[in-house]
Amino acid sequence: MSVSSRSASVVKRSIAFRYGAIALVLAIVATFSVRAALAAQNVNLLETGSSLLYPLFNLWVPVYTKANPSVRITTQSTGSGTGMSQAIEGIAQIGASDAFLSPAMMRIHPDMLNIPLAISMQMVNYNLPGLNNRHIKLSGPVLAGIYDGSIRMWNDKAIAAMNPGVNLPDHAIIPIHRTDGSGDTFIFTQYLSFSTPSWANQYSFGTTISWAPVPGELGAEGNPGMVTALQDNEYGIAYIGTSYQQAIQQHGLGIAMLKNRNGDYVLPSAMTAKAAAAQMVSKTPADERISLIFAPGPQSYPIINYEYALVKQRQPSAATAAALRNLFTWAISPNGGNAPHFMEQVHFVPLPSSVAKLSAAQIAKIQ
Amino acid sequence: MDVMAVDVRAAIVNPTLGRSLRRRIFNGLGWMLSALTFLLLGAAMLSILILVFVRGAHALNLKVFTHITEGTSGGLLNAIEGTLIISLGGILLAIPPGLAAGIYLAEFNDGFLAPVLRFLSDVLVGVPSIVIGYFVYVTLVVDLGWQFSVAAASIALAIMSLPYICRTSEVALRQVPITLREAGHALGVTTGTVTMRICLPMALPGILTGVLLALSIAVGETAPLIYTAGWSSYLWTGHLTHEPVGYLTYVIWAFITEPFEGAHALAYAAAFLVTFFVLLIGVAARMVLYRNAGAQRHS
Amino acid sequence: MGFRRLIAPLASIVGLSLIVIVVFLGIYAWPAVKFNGWHFLIRNNWNLGNLYGNPIMRHGQQVMPGAAYGILFLIVGTLLSTLIAVLIAVPFGVGAAMFLAEGIPPVLRPWLSFFVELLAAIPSVVFGLWGYVLLIPFLSHHVFPFMAKRFGFIPFFKGSTGSGYGLLTCGLVLSLMIVPLIAATVRDALVSRPIGQREAALALGATRFETLWAVELPGVRRVIIASTILATGRALGETMAVLMVSGNALNYLPNNIYTPISTMASFIVSQLDSALEDPTGMAVRSLAEVALVLCAISIVVNGIARLLLYFSGQERMEAGAWM
Repeated sequence: MSVSSRSASVVKRSIAFRYGAIALVLAIVATFSVRAALAAQNVNLLETGSSLLYPLFNLWVPVYTKANPSVRITTQSTGSGTGMSQAIEGIAQIGASDAFLSPAMMRIHPDMLNIPLAISMQMVNYNLPGLNNRHIKLSGPVLAGIYDGSIRMWNDKAIAAMNPGVNLPDHAIIPIHRTDGSGDTFIFTQYLSFSTPSWANQYSFGTTISWAPVPGELGAEGNPGMVTALQDNEYGIAYIGTSYQQAIQQHGLGIAMLKNRNGDYVLPSAMTAKAAAAQMVSKTPADERISLIFAPGPQSYPIINYEYALVKQRQPSAATAAALRNLFTWAISPNGGNAPHFMEQVHFVPLPSSVAKLSAAQIAKIQ
Repeated sequence: MDVMAVDVRAAIVNPTLGRSLRRRIFNGLGWMLSALTFLLLGAAMLSILILVFVRGAHALNLKVFTHITEGTSGGLLNAIEGTLIISLGGILLAIPPGLAAGIYLAEFNDGFLAPVLRFLSDVLVGVPSIVIGYFVYVTLVVDLGWQFSVAAASIALAIMSLPYICRTSEVALRQVPITLREAGHALGVTTGTVTMRICLPMALPGILTGVLLALSIAVGETAPLIYTAGWSSYLWTGHLTHEPVGYLTYVIWAFITEPFEGAHALAYAAAFLVTFFVLLIGVAARMVLYRNAGAQRHS
Repeated sequence: MGFRRLIAPLASIVGLSLIVIVVFLGIYAWPAVKFNGWHFLIRNNWNLGNLYGNPIMRHGQQVMPGAAYGILFLIVGTLLSTLIAVLIAVPFGVGAAMFLAEGIPPVLRPWLSFFVELLAAIPSVVFGLWGYVLLIPFLSHHVFPFMAKRFGFIPFFKGSTGSGYGLLTCGLVLSLMIVPLIAATVRDALVSRPIGQREAALALGATRFETLWAVELPGVRRVIIASTILATGRALGETMAVLMVSGNALNYLPNNIYTPISTMASFIVSQLDSALEDPTGMAVRSLAEVALVLCAISIVVNGIARLLLYFSGQERMEAGAWM
């Protein structure tokens, strides 16, 4: 008896449940179709990759989408490696990268364009209590020694020799490197490779390299992760993109002077970056895949690079292609994305006009 | 165990001063240690909840619920929507096969399929969620060209949820008295009708508990979504494939390492929402279970 | 019979999805298995090679120059962090279960047990957030230096305490994630023990704690072992929390308990995109091999636990906190 009354109530409840479920499905279908109708005229662009370019894209997107409301751009800070692979796979429409695609990749995917959008530089930062505002001097070979484990202490004589009068601590160095595939790793290891033959032989350069096992070293994800890791770790050293200079200064971390090809020690600044760029711009080929690292000249900062957008030439739809062309054309224009107020906020340098012309020619190929 | 019981008796029958002291110390120390373990566990857990709810509450404001994410600032509307869509999508996909497997295990335990299915389902629980994410990424996202999408993410979550729904519905169905089935069969009703019309409604609360548990796991997942859902700072426009979708756990993971206060605030807000959802679902699931247990007692 | 045939295919999806995943991983990873051989498991060398060089042929496979894949450091990192987690979690889980079952006033029991069960549902990424924001600064500034100084005589406690990211931190966060699971399961088993033995022991004059310790606990031994193994499985596959607190070490083994590590699951998340940069595809396939190894370990661990559970007849564990 009790069972039957219970099952009766269960049946009643299950009927209510069934109507509820039908209503839910209908509601979902309704929102679905409204959304789909709304979506028809929009173009969705996914930008993913370089965490160095990410702050700039975040400045660009609100301004650009306000003027072009039919384009929806999602930005993601995932590392240049992700930018490369997802642009190639066609998962992201724009792969942001501090590094150009490798020759082997280009042979397999000749359809890919490497379009510089701006010039960036990379800082070498450290967290030394009491010395963070001193701008200690470092060179390629010394950094190579720190990252391959042959220089373990901050007061090592190699470091002391180039920093006379600086009271370096007797403390182990914590080298911090990127764990994600990273254009910052690419340009940093290029600096090491171009300045230090032994590094070039053993580790070479790349977005992901096989780091030497140095006790105490740390891996961090993205530039933000590098900043945070450095901030949390006294006696740490890290390579960080210049778009995080504000964060570095806010947290009171040190910025090193780096030894350039000429043998001079220079700080990263718009002036030293432009000096280095001036040496390399004329060498830029039509496909714009060139390293700007370790440029000659007394004022040249040694680690500067083009910030690339990696894009497929052939797009699935004419609308997407047009949206991409418009966005990039705006981005490299001195009145648009390359305007000083954007560049200064992230400490980038605008593209020189000759390079902007090469980029424009590549942008025109997106169909 | 027997030896221990004898020891205990020996201790009681021949009490000596040293032994009783030892017993008292043993007892006191034992309770103290077990209380200590519980208190330490509780303290650590409270620390987590306080971190999430206090910092999260500070970060919550109306904008979080009404605005979409812009870079690392703005609101979380897109992520809240995305989390709901992909978790509900995953659960809806998982219910038919999960429930079918639960029914099969409960009602047809005689053949060779049932034990195999039960073992596979139990092993599937142990497969790390990132392995499932990797699988979906390579097959659906890349090879089939679905790209980051609601469909890929929902399928990844559905695979994860299958064993939970399967095994909880099996247990719930088993608790339906066999006499009910026999009564149904005696009336000449087929097995299918007995299962669908009698057993399933009776077992509904138990099944619902399992579904809610699976939902809470889906809401809290991150690893299998990174390479299937991607991330989007816009609201979903209704495309099942070719459109990435935002979700809350991504915000926690990705924004907490950004060196900006605004990004941290969003990460805490997201952590608040995810934890709140998950605990709420947990409470709801238990309430369904307890209410049902109560109902059964009273009837 | 018709109904049975109707639902059998639908039901099989549950089992098939596992089989498909494992078979897919096996096939996908096969070129890597052939290329890497046994070195994969015994070398510390995860190296995509020179990505900006030209692909070369080695062992009949096309790879980048200098490419080699050895994941010993991942296996060691995974196993050690899990071991530490389990070593901490078992006494804490069992102790808390005893306290929950007998130590607190009966009025509070359901509420606190409920609390512990809910904790089991807190998402991994939230544990990671807590570890990252609170635990790591606390450990690296206060606890680790103290431990290294005072307990330096214990092997692997001495030496540089590093940054707070690393093996012990991972172990602690993981243990916190699995303690609620062990505690809830063992408590349930304790509560559902037949009352006869307990009354017998009490009648003999044993105190409540002695009864719990000498009579009840041995009775649920199998449940403790099985829940420990299942917790081990959970810890082995844990991804997000580990990713956020492990320090993501590459290519070296820990030399003390403070050293950064990586685990297989977190490595897949952090390296999948880098691996996709390899134009020869060998890196992605080697990563699939990592997933395959992880999957195999998890399946073995879970299989053992489930078999134990079937023999001990614990229905509750099959449906409750574990699911």
